Amino acid sequence: MTAPRSLQWRLSLWLGSGMALLWLATALVTMNNLRHELDAVFDSSLEETAQRILPLAVLEIIGREDDGIASQDMATLRTHDEYFTYVVRDDKGAVLLRSHGADDSVFPPFSQMGFASSPTHRLYFDAALQGTVTIAVAEPLAHRRAVGSKAFFGLMLAFGPLVLLSFLGVWVIVRLSMVPIRAFRSGIEQRGGGDLTPISAAALPSEIEPIAGALNSLLDRLRRTLEAERSFTASSAHELRTPVAAALAQTQRLISETTDASTLERATQIETALRRLARLSEKLMQLAKAEGGRLQAEQAVDVAPVLRMIVREMAKDGADRIELTLPPRPVMSRIDPDAFAILARNLIENALKHGAPDEAVRVILSEDGGLAVANAGEAVPPETLARLARPFERGDTHASGSGLGLAIANAIASGVGGSLTLVSPLPGQTSGFEAKFENSALKHPGKLEDAR
Amino acid sequence: MRILLIEDDTILGAAVRDQINADGHCVDWVTRLDAAADHARNAVYDLVLLDLMLPDGRGIGFLRNLRARGDTTPVIILSALDQVSDRIEGLDAGADDYMVKPFDLSELSSRLKAVARRYAGNPNPLIEIGDLQIDLAARSIRRNGKNVGLTAREWVLYEAFLQRPGQLMSKSQLEERLYSFNDDVDSNTIEVHVSRLRKKLGHGAIDTVRGVGYRLGTA
Repeated sequence: MTAPRSLQWRLSLWLGSGMALLWLATALVTMNNLRHELDAVFDSSLEETAQRILPLAVLEIIGREDDGIASQDMATLRTHDEYFTYVVRDDKGAVLLRSHGADDSVFPPFSQMGFASSPTHRLYFDAALQGTVTIAVAEPLAHRRAVGSKAFFGLMLAFGPLVLLSFLGVWVIVRLSMVPIRAFRSGIEQRGGGDLTPISAAALPSEIEPIAGALNSLLDRLRRTLEAERSFTASSAHELRTPVAAALAQTQRLISETTDASTLERATQIETALRRLARLSEKLMQLAKAEGGRLQAEQAVDVAPVLRMIVREMAKDGADRIELTLPPRPVMSRIDPDAFAILARNLIENALKHGAPDEAVRVILSEDGGLAVANAGEAVPPETLARLARPFERGDTHASGSGLGLAIANAIASGVGGSLTLVSPLPGQTSGFEAKFENSALKHPGKLEDAR
Repeated sequence: MRILLIEDDTILGAAVRDQINADGHCVDWVTRLDAAADHARNAVYDLVLLDLMLPDGRGIGFLRNLRARGDTTPVIILSALDQVSDRIEGLDAGADDYMVKPFDLSELSSRLKAVARRYAGNPNPLIEIGDLQIDLAARSIRRNGKNVGLTAREWVLYEAFLQRPGQLMSKSQLEERLYSFNDDVDSNTIEVHVSRLRKKLGHGAIDTVRGVGYRLGTA
C-alpha cells in the first residue's frame, strides 16, 4: 500500500493512529495497575479466609472425640463452585480437615506462614497451637486471570468506539482546517493563462500564507514583466515604424517628383527595399509577440467584431475576395484580441497570397472560437505541408513573402493552448488549402483543464 | 480641401504635406497637440490627419475633445500603433479611418478622397453634370468624352463646389480651402481660377452670385 498523497489523509491517518496508540497505552497501563490492585484484594481475602477458618478448624479438631478418624471433609449446604479451597493439617502433614472441593495435590507441605505460589494456585499458609495445626488456602490462578481478562475486555469495549470516534473527529477537524487551503487551490486553478490578479490569502493557515504571498508576488512580477514586454513591443513598433514610414513616404515623393529616368529607377528600388523591410520588421514584431507571453486576455471578449474589422480593412486594401462567415451569436474567447487579429490576418494574407488569384478565400469563425481559412489552388504536397509552419519556410511559390506568416499563426495557436492544422487538398477534393485554428481553451473559458 | 496635419516626425510630415499639396489640397502642418488645438479653433478644416503619439500627449485625447465640442470634421488617424485595441479605441473615439505606418502615399490620397466623399454625402466617385463625367476617385473629368486636364489647384476648387452642390460659397471661404495660414493670397486668385475652370469645363460649370459668391452650375 502506498502512503496517501493528500494532506487531509496523511494528517487524519497519523493523528488518528497516534491517538489510538495513546489510548491503547493508557489502557495497558490501567490494566496493569488494575491487576496489581486485584492481586492485593484477592490476597487479602485469601488471608482473611485462612484466619477465619483456622480458629474454627482448631475448635472443631479439639472437640473431636475419636482421634482415629484421619480426616474429615466439610459437608456443604448446597453445591457451588469454590474459588477458595483449603486443607487443615497437623504437624506431620496429615489432613485433619478439607473443604469439600479441595484436591490434596494442590497443596504443598507447610513450610512457613504467609503467601506462596504454585504454577496453578495462589496459596496462603497459617499455623495455630505452636504449629501443630496448619491451614493452607488455595485459590486457582485461572480465576484471577479470568477476572483480569473480564476487566480488560470491559475496558476495550469502552475504548474501541472512542478510538473510532477520535478517528472521525480528527478527520472532520482536518477537513475543516483544509477549507481555506482548498479555496486557495481553486483560486490558483481558476487563474487562466491571462488572469494574473492576486489570489485571496484570507483565512489561510500561517504556514501556507507565505506561499500565497510568494505566489502573489510572483504573479505581480509576471504581470509587470508582461506589461513591460507589451509596452516594449508597442514602443519599439512605433520607433521602428515611424522612420520606415518617413523613408518610404519621401521615396514615394521622390518617385512622383523626379523626371530623371535613372533617379526614378533607383528610387523605385529603394521603395521596393523599404517595403520589404517594413514587411519583415512587421512580421518579426508579430513573431516576438506570438512567442512572448500575454496571449490570453484577462476577460473573455467577443472575437467576431475583431475578425470583421480585419476583413474590412483587408478588403479596403484591395482584397475584396474574402468570404466571411460568422456565427449568429458572439464568440466569447480568452485569446488576446490582438493575438487573435495577428493570427487571423496571417492566415488570410497567406490564403490571398498563395491561393488561386481569382477564387474567393473563405474565412469561417465557428461558435467555439475556431477559425478556418480556406482557399482554392493547387494541392500542397504533404512533405511541404509539414514544414510550412516553420519560420522562413516557404512552399513552392513565386509569391513574395517573409515565410513567417504561418510560423506566427502557429506560435500564437500553441501559445494559447490550441492548435493549427494545415490541410491540403481540401477534404473530398483534389485541390485547395485550408488552415484551421482550434482553441481548446475556448471550450472552458475561465478554467484550466482539470489538472488533478 | 483644407487639411490639418498633426505629425511630429518632420521627415514623414514633410512627405505627407508635399503629397497633399501635390493633390492640390492645402495643409496646415503642426507637430504638437497644443498647436493643433489652436488651429482647430481658428480655422475650418475639411479633414484632419492625426498621429497618435505626439510629444505633448496622445492624439486620441485631441480627437475626443474635438468630438466633445460637436466638431464633425473627418479625422484619419495615421499611427504606428497597430494593435486591434488601438484601432478600436481610435475608431470609437470618432476617427473615420485608421492607417498604420508605414503606408503608401497614394493610398493616403485615395483614403482622403474617400473620406471626403463620404462626408459630402456621396460615396459614389462618379458624377455626371451636363456634358461632364467626373470621376472623383481618379480625379479625372471628361467633357463630351474627351479628357479635361485640370491643375491640382483647379481640381480642389472645383471639388469644393462638387462637395456642396447648390450651396453658396464666399470668396473667403474658397480662399480658406485653397490656402494655408502662411500662404500669401492675391486678392483676385479665386476669380482667376474660376475663369480658368469655366474655360475648361464650360461657362455654366460655376455660377456667380453677384456680390455674395459662387456655386456649382449645371454646366
